[in-house]
Amino acid sequence: MWLIVRPLPVPDVGTPPLSSSARLLWWQAGRQRGVLGASVAVGMIAMLAEAAAPLLLGRAIDEGLAQGFGTDLLVWCGLMALAAAVIVGSGVFAHTWDVENWMRASFAFSQLVGYKATRAGQAVTRKLPTGEVVTAVANDALRVGDMYSVAGRFAGAVLAYVAGAAVVLTEHLPLGLVIVVGIPVVAGVLGLLVKPLTSRQNAHREATGRLTALGADTVSGLRILRGIGGEDVFSGRYARQSQEVRRQGVRVAGLQSVLDGLQVLLPGLLAAAVLWLGARAVVHGEITGGQLVTFYGYAAFLSWPVMIATQMTHTTIRAVVSARKILDVLRVDEATPQPARPVDAPPAGAELVDEASGLVLRPGRVVGLVSADPDAAARVAVRLGRLDDAVEADTPVRLGGVLLADLDKEALRHRVVVAEATPHLFSGVLGEELDSRGRATEAELMAAVLTADARDVLDSVPGGLAGELPEKGRSLSGGQRQRVALARALLTEPEILVLVEPTSAVDAHTEARIAERVAEARRGRTTLVVTASPLVLDHLDEVLLLDDGRVTTAGTHAELLARTGDDGARYRAVVGRSMAEDGPPATDVSTDDMEGAVR
Amino acid sequence: MSTTANQLPIADRAEVNRTVGRLFRHHRGQLAAVAVLHTVAAVAGLVGPFLLGRVIDEVTGGTTLDRVDRLALVVLGAVVAQAVVTRYAQRLSMVFGERVFAELREEFMRTATRLPLSTVEKAGTGDLVARTTNDVNKLQHAVRFGVPRVLVCVVTIGLTTVASFLADPLVALGLLLGVPLIVVATRWYLKRATPGYLRESAAYATLNGTITEAVEGARTTDALHLGARVRRRIDADLREAFAAERYTLGLRLRLIPSLDSAVSIAPIAVVLWGAWLVSQDVTTVGTVATIAMYAHQMGGPVFDLVFWLDELQVAAVALARVVGVGLVGPDRVAGTAVPASEEVRAHQVRYAYREGHDVLHGIDLDLAPGERLAVVGPSGAGKSTLGRMLAGIHPPTGGSVMVGGVPLVELPLEDLRRHVALVTQEHHVFVGSLAENLRLADTVADDDRLWEALGAVDARDWAAALPDGLATEVGSGGHALSPAQAQQVALARLVLLDPHTLVLDEATSLLDPRAARHLERSLNAVLTGRTVVAIAHRLHTAHDADRVAVVDGGRISEIGPHDELVAAGGEYARLWRSWQHE
Repeated sequence: MWLIVRPLPVPDVGTPPLSSSARLLWWQAGRQRGVLGASVAVGMIAMLAEAAAPLLLGRAIDEGLAQGFGTDLLVWCGLMALAAAVIVGSGVFAHTWDVENWMRASFAFSQLVGYKATRAGQAVTRKLPTGEVVTAVANDALRVGDMYSVAGRFAGAVLAYVAGAAVVLTEHLPLGLVIVVGIPVVAGVLGLLVKPLTSRQNAHREATGRLTALGADTVSGLRILRGIGGEDVFSGRYARQSQEVRRQGVRVAGLQSVLDGLQVLLPGLLAAAVLWLGARAVVHGEITGGQLVTFYGYAAFLSWPVMIATQMTHTTIRAVVSARKILDVLRVDEATPQPARPVDAPPAGAELVDEASGLVLRPGRVVGLVSADPDAAARVAVRLGRLDDAVEADTPVRLGGVLLADLDKEALRHRVVVAEATPHLFSGVLGEELDSRGRATEAELMAAVLTADARDVLDSVPGGLAGELPEKGRSLSGGQRQRVALARALLTEPEILVLVEPTSAVDAHTEARIAERVAEARRGRTTLVVTASPLVLDHLDEVLLLDDGRVTTAGTHAELLARTGDDGARYRAVVGRSMAEDGPPATDVSTDDMEGAVR
Repeated sequence: MSTTANQLPIADRAEVNRTVGRLFRHHRGQLAAVAVLHTVAAVAGLVGPFLLGRVIDEVTGGTTLDRVDRLALVVLGAVVAQAVVTRYAQRLSMVFGERVFAELREEFMRTATRLPLSTVEKAGTGDLVARTTNDVNKLQHAVRFGVPRVLVCVVTIGLTTVASFLADPLVALGLLLGVPLIVVATRWYLKRATPGYLRESAAYATLNGTITEAVEGARTTDALHLGARVRRRIDADLREAFAAERYTLGLRLRLIPSLDSAVSIAPIAVVLWGAWLVSQDVTTVGTVATIAMYAHQMGGPVFDLVFWLDELQVAAVALARVVGVGLVGPDRVAGTAVPASEEVRAHQVRYAYREGHDVLHGIDLDLAPGERLAVVGPSGAGKSTLGRMLAGIHPPTGGSVMVGGVPLVELPLEDLRRHVALVTQEHHVFVGSLAENLRLADTVADDDRLWEALGAVDARDWAAALPDGLATEVGSGGHALSPAQAQQVALARLVLLDPHTLVLDEATSLLDPRAARHLERSLNAVLTGRTVVAIAHRLHTAHDADRVAVVDGGRISEIGPHDELVAAGGEYARLWRSWQHE
């Protein structure tokens, strides 16, 4: 539409104040003050034209109709038509800008919340359930928008009320007073009922929310229910909650219908009073029949501005509540914030040192990390990437002597990439999802796919690299997902790459191919692989053995296997399970620990 | 493993109409009561303007205060009557809406939880979740508020028109001037509105999906520095939402001025036309005032009606998806035969997801009770499909899988579960207590039995450490269980269910490798004493099994004990040796 001032979303969301919801809402109002102003201006024009209608109708009856079919009538009818034209014309603008105001605010808050989720890292899921963050966008952002979209109409309503009041008060003071005072009194009385109603509505909404969650939960686990049993238990449980929702709904209906009745009764009483007093005034000759129509019209019309004012109040209250929920998200501290004053980054080729374990990654080496406790090895590996300050506070890691937390974050993320064991796959075009840096050529993409032995994925995803990968890579098998994630990690081409158990879900054949190709692809570039698989370890420049949280032994796979003494025995115990029969002699270390017969 | 998105059906127009008709017929008494009450309320609402006209006529004709007072009393009575009736009409229609809607969603859930096993496995749950949440919620608004509102609007508009014609049919003709414009604009709008609003809600659903992914993948986003990319995606989703909004805005920008014009023309037309009629002495000023007032009053209901028709259209689409779930036919007919033994045999099993494209080509397989069979083979060979056949999930397209001489798919589902269970990589913890999560498998199990099952899968320790033990609320919103714990709960369910045959389809491959290792011991406990078919990607599994079946191209190419296959020097031997090299 040509009327829309600005296409959305805006490129710069700005930095909102987080001190209070009122400040937040006010800040956003300032950001869209142009269209908010336009909306207010046109809202006033529209409402004024609406306010003129009863006056004009009364005059048309008095000075036109009563005088017969003549010029006066045509003039008044012409004026009515003019008012109608203004209403129609301004209505177009008013609606457009109301919608734009709504979108500006809703989209801005959606962006703010969404952006936060992309920056906060681990912290966002730790602090809030996923559902709450999604609701902040799906629900709260939209609610907040409502307030901005009513603003124009509200301003118009205030003006229309003043104008209407001026007309009735000048035409007949006592009758005017009845209207001007009566309407706010009516609205006030109705307002008293709103609070208990809102609490019932909230109870209903909460019950509905629980029901929806219960329904979603039940069908999400439907495979289990159909495979194991319990369908009746669950549909019964849903039915019980559904009845609870119905009961709450009936409670709402009880009060809501009283409110509806009063909404008829109180303004109706007012209109009746106006009609009665007005008719008496006509009999007394104080006003004309047309004026009576005008008064009657205003008694009805002026409740409209009051209604809009009430609506404004409600949307504002809701907006404040929603703004608070949005603030909950916006206030989440990032798991790994950008340091206030980043220290100069060490030159490329710096050593990465984990002080707690004594692990040192020397430049250009492709190294394995092995531990009897794979969790411990993964913990060491993961902190090399600074993924969660809260957890890693006591285990400093330095790149070229500089604490990771002091490095510019963007630079750190480009230099060191940690690919965890179960990373998240995002939905989107497969080729783009693989190339998270957005700079790989088709040939490079294919090379990475080949390195991760993920060619079969191209067949599984209709359209191959150009095909759509569903959310979480749902259409792929566990092994395929792992290989896609590996290819993605390789394509980031970092100076230092850390891979945690990259082949745990693939078969031996594939693992052997990946082991060889990954080692080849990363040859000469600093790489750490956490694994206990001999297939992988054999291809690495060096293997470190982590014992009790400290790196105790280093050597090549073959060396360590052959090594006599305690170190060698421990190493063989960890990696040697599959080689027990024709490999090195069995050791006294128990091999049944966690490595059961069935994998 | 290729999962083709087999969507659930969507009901057609006729089916939706049948459902609505059935619902209305079922509640026709209440519906009639609602209609009558709203009609009475609307009639009472017409008294005010009518008497306004009378007053004008009578006072210009010269009347007494006494007469005015009496007329005012009538108005008062009408207002009170309208208010009281409105109250009951509103209450009744809301209660009615709640009831119909509760019935609708409960029936939906009953149907959904009875979907055939094969449908659930094939279609996945995403679509079903969307129907349970989005579509049911969309319906809620329409049923609770829309249907009563439309009723009120239709009654009000109809009665106001009737009242105008009763007051003076000639003058009332002026009312009709706006009608063609309203009809044309509304028809034009309604035809385009539904796709427009559907696009809008699809855009917001996509946005919510992106946000969900951003939150769930927050750690990965941070680790791989994907933030900017996710932000770009959020912006792209919002751009689409903006485009969708702009489209519907465009529709409304044609509708609203048309309705506005029509609604504002009516009183002017009535006054002009009325004035001419007054000058001809055919009618009175009061009558014209009454009808002009009626014309003025009709604006609100007209707008309301169009707005709600629009909402109802959107709701009809949601209803089509909700009703569609009931259109899935059963995938099996249960017989009465009782298995004579615990022996599972597959005979000439064929299966095609699409007609003419067999994934399995006549598989024969006899499982000795208590044996462990490992199924290996390249991905896409049909291992998972074979697993589903052996677990009785899908009826085979050809051949049969029997237990003790009875085809699996002829067993009632409750019985089938006691014979064979499929364990996949998926695990789900339901919202509810830990005990409720376990009792799915055995509704009458007492707490001791539950503890026993937890103990069997090595989960007793952490379960005992939960704040409320078995009564601890788990699942989304409750105490969070780790994926490994969730899988242990799944295994404990199997202990309670106690089937003699288990089909494991890469049961631990989706778990974190560390968690997977912890789980193996629990799994072992469950397998003891049962016939096990393990679809595996790790060769230890094969090595430790009693027999190994190599599946390739939908056929069993080799089968036998590990040592024999290695000695035979076939494909399996080749695989084994390549793995053993190290």
